[in-house]
Order: sequence, then structure tokens, then C-alpha cells
Amino acid sequence: MIEYKNVKKVYGEGETAVTAVNDVSFKIVQGEVVVFLGPSGCGKTTLLRMTNKLESVTSGAISVGGRNIREIDPVRLRRSMGYVIQQIGLFPNKTIFDNIAMVPRVLKWDREKINDRVQTLMELVKLDPEIYSSRYPVELSGGQQQRIGVARALAADPDILLMDEPFGAIDPINRDQIQDEFMRLQARLKKTIAFVSHDIHEAIKMADKIAIFRGGQLVQYDTPEVILTQPKNKFVSDFVGADRALKVLNLIRARDAMNKNPKNILRADTPCPEAMKFFSEKSRTSAIVIKDDKPMGYVTPRLVKFEEGPVSDVVEPYQVFVEDDEPLRDVLSSMLMDSMTTYCVVDENGTFKGSITYQNIQKKILELYEDDTD
Amino acid sequence: MEILDFIRENFDQALFLTWEHIWIVFLSLFIAMITGIPTGIAITRNEALAKKVLNTANILMTVPSIAMFGIMLPFLAPMGWGLGKVPAVIALVLYSELPIIRNTYIAIKNVDPALVDAGRGLGLTRWNLLKEVEIPLAIPVILAGLRTAAVMNIGIGAIAAYIGAGGLGVFIQQGIARSYEAMIITGALGVSLLAILVDSLMALLERALTSQGLKIQGRQ
Repeated sequence: MIEYKNVKKVYGEGETAVTAVNDVSFKIVQGEVVVFLGPSGCGKTTLLRMTNKLESVTSGAISVGGRNIREIDPVRLRRSMGYVIQQIGLFPNKTIFDNIAMVPRVLKWDREKINDRVQTLMELVKLDPEIYSSRYPVELSGGQQQRIGVARALAADPDILLMDEPFGAIDPINRDQIQDEFMRLQARLKKTIAFVSHDIHEAIKMADKIAIFRGGQLVQYDTPEVILTQPKNKFVSDFVGADRALKVLNLIRARDAMNKNPKNILRADTPCPEAMKFFSEKSRTSAIVIKDDKPMGYVTPRLVKFEEGPVSDVVEPYQVFVEDDEPLRDVLSSMLMDSMTTYCVVDENGTFKGSITYQNIQKKILELYEDDTD
Repeated sequence: MEILDFIRENFDQALFLTWEHIWIVFLSLFIAMITGIPTGIAITRNEALAKKVLNTANILMTVPSIAMFGIMLPFLAPMGWGLGKVPAVIALVLYSELPIIRNTYIAIKNVDPALVDAGRGLGLTRWNLLKEVEIPLAIPVILAGLRTAAVMNIGIGAIAAYIGAGGLGVFIQQGIARSYEAMIITGALGVSLLAILVDSLMALLERALTSQGLKIQGRQ
């Protein structure tokens, strides 16, 4: 856990003094990713660098695991935290192996333990140790280099990671991928992470909580959902962008918006005439056909009209299924490109979970924005 | 061939003078190295001091060598070191300081600040960082400074014969005094060959001590 209490940083003295961080207080809970977000010069990087004493604290206190960092030797403090920077900063004179082994070596681990650790970490960041451990940083792409940067920061298995725009210099396609990989890694490792970013998309994607800074002050500290749906002031709402409703779609999964008990369901063995009766009585235009808890497809009045057998004979299969953990943004995107207005939501085994329509999505968004309409 | 005859007749002396030359040059280079490299590293932490040190070294190097020997004479004479190897070595050390200090200073200064930041952030001590990162990255440039100093010292070492320091300059100096061409040329050739040889050896050393990673970087 990291706690900031009335933290202040002033550069210079007297008339020329510049306040970079001004009276900032908040807590980062164990195992959470907190993104420090804001425009350049807002103090987010300074605050991060104060956390591992690369910058001194002018006043206030930062404590890590309950201890004021003032009492901890800077070298020991830093070795207990991983540090990843935008420029990556792999040592060009050292092989990938030696880069990762750097901190374990200065901590005097024995050789066997270092070998095992490097091997494990390289597998963790998906770079084959056989191929890459004896290479030099310059032989790797930017994305690969930053994977090693992350591995190096994790080498001594610190509880805390400090990351200063770690993926900022990587091209957009690789950035997306490395962010996904990093999130998967974090889901396993559960590190406490302070992550500096100026990219709202990245923040929404990575953060358990977002801390928005402006001119050295903490403006809002909340979950991405709350930041997007209830921005505290104009600065925050401008910063998150006019399309914040679309951004929030990234955060909501299909299972959260779907209709869990849709009424237009037919069993696969329902005879067609009975289905026809269902359509006219309930004035429905389509129905989902379910067999053994799995959606087969759909039928419409036109398909069953002159048939006698079960609906499974005439069922039209779905081209696309929505997985229950798919973000609404992707679901909506499919809907926009497709004539389908109702999608089946399934779990990873293909079991039917519910259905989802435009109306379901809109309803969910409106719910989130309820407090925000005044 | 008059020169070959001269060398054959004076082979032992030629060998001795070459040895003496090498000895003077390398002793002074060694002293300059163990003082110059730490100085160069130390001044990277203090800009004001760096300016003073580099300026002083610069001024020392602009003093012509003959004048340098002359200036040192009154200071060293009371201790009985006015002439001979001692003032020669001192002068060569002073001349070597500039290329060594300057190259070390520039090389350490030029290490990418991001590497230093990453290293510090990971919890490396100043010494760890210097030993593992800064010096290995600076090695090629530091060695280039040593190479410049070595070659220069071989040349200046020849002039030191005038203050009785010995070395291959003796052939040149005595040859001129006697208008003995073969003798002059033997001395001159010896000094030149020595300089070329040392330059090549230092180049090899530079290559051997440069990290593989930096060489790959250099090729790209």
C-alpha cells in the first residue's frame, strides 16, 4: 500500500519557486493499478518519482507499507519497487539476460536462483529465453525491449511497480497488445502499481482507479466508471473527452447489459405450427432456438409458416455470438456493421446466457449517467 | 645500405634506446591513466570544477615541450631532478592528462540520462551504476583518449632526449649534432614505427574491450 499525505514538491526558492505537486493526499490499495493521469506539467511524473525518492519530498509524507519513506534508505526502497520508464533504458552493453539479472545480482542471489528467475520472467513476458537471453537490447524491437523492461523491473519480485508512461513510445498496434499482455500479467501477479499516463484510453483500460491531476493538484480520484460518468468538473469532463459515453462502453461487459431472461425463446423440438402461434400471440418477429442450453440460431414467422416439423429443421444459424465478457463497445460495433438487432450472449462453453439489443445497451448507459443529467 | 649497416653495428644500443623509450612513455601513460580517469569521472559530478580542470589541462597541453622542460628545470633542479628521466616523465604525464581527462569526462557525460535514471530507479548504487553501465559504455571513448596520449607521448618522448632522458631521441639528437644521416634516420624511423605499432595495438585493445552490444549498435 502506498499513501500520500499532503505531499508537496517545490522546485527552487523565493520568487522563482515552482510548485510541481501541491498538497496531494490519496491512497493506493494493495494489488490495485492506479493511473496518474493529466496533461504534461501536472505533477504526475514528479509524484511518481517522489515515491521511490528519485525526487525529494518538500513537505508532507509518503508511506509505503505503513513506513514513511523518509526513514528508508533510497537504494533499499528502490530495490523493493520495480521501475519502468518510457525510454525503456535497457543497458545496451548487457545481454537481455544480464539486464534482467541486474537487481538480483546486486542483491547477491546465487546463480541458480538468478537463472531460474530470468527464465521464468522471460516466459512471463512471452519472449523465448532460448532465443533472446543472449541477445543485446539493440537487436530487439521497441515492444520487445519494453517487455524486457517490465521483466527487469519484476526481477526481484517487488510488491510495487512504478511505471512512467511505459508504453508511450511504442507504436499503437504493439501498444494495444502489450497493454493486454500486461493486464493479463497483472491479473496473475496482483502487484500494487502506480502508472503515469497522459492517455485517457490507456487509463480507462488499465486502471482500477484513476487519479487526475492538474497544475500539481489532485482533481479527482475514482474508478474509471465514475470518472467517465460523473466527472467532478469541467476540466475532468474535457479531459476525458466528449465521447466519454463511448469510452464507458469499453468498461462494461456484455453480461452486465444483456437481458438475462428473454421471452422470445423456443426449444429446438417445438413444432413449427406452435411456433407460428407463439409469434402471432406475442406479436414477435423472431425467436431464439435453444438446444441443450446452447443457442442454435433463430427462426422468424416467414421460416416456420408452412412447415410441420420441429423448428430445429428450419433454424437459421447465428453468424456471430457475443461472449459474456466482451466489452459493449465491440458488441455495438458488430451491430453497426450487421443487420442483426439481437445477439445471443454465451459463456466460454457456448452455453446460452441471454440476449442483447441496442435497447439493452442504451438502457445500461442511461443508468450509469443518471446522476449526471442535471 | 648505410642505415642497415648502422643498425647492425649499433644493434644493442638501438634495442636499449627503444626499450628506454617504451618504458618512459608507458610509465607516464600509466600514471596519467590512474590519475586522469578518476579525475575525469569525478568532475562529471561538478560542472564548475570540470571547467577549471579542463581549462588547466588545456593550458598545460599548449605549452611547447621544449619550453615545458625548461620551465620545470628550476623547480626540479634543487632536488637533483632538473635533467634526466624524472622531468621527462612528469612532462609526459602532464601532456597526457588532457586527452585522458577530457575523453573520460565527455564519455561519462554522454551516457544516456535515461539509462542512469533507469539504473537509479532500479536501486543501483552510484558505484554499481558506474561499474556496470557508465564505464563499460564510456570505455571506447576513454581508450581513444589513451591512444591519442600514447601516440603523442612517443613523439614528445623523442624530444626528451635533449634533457638527457634517453630513448630513441638520442639517435636523432646526436645524429644532428654530428650530421650523421644514418643515425638520424634510424632514430626517426624507430620513433615512427613505435608510434604506428602502439596506435594499432591500442586500436585492437579498444575493440577487445568494447561490449558486443555496443558494436552491434554501431553497425546499425
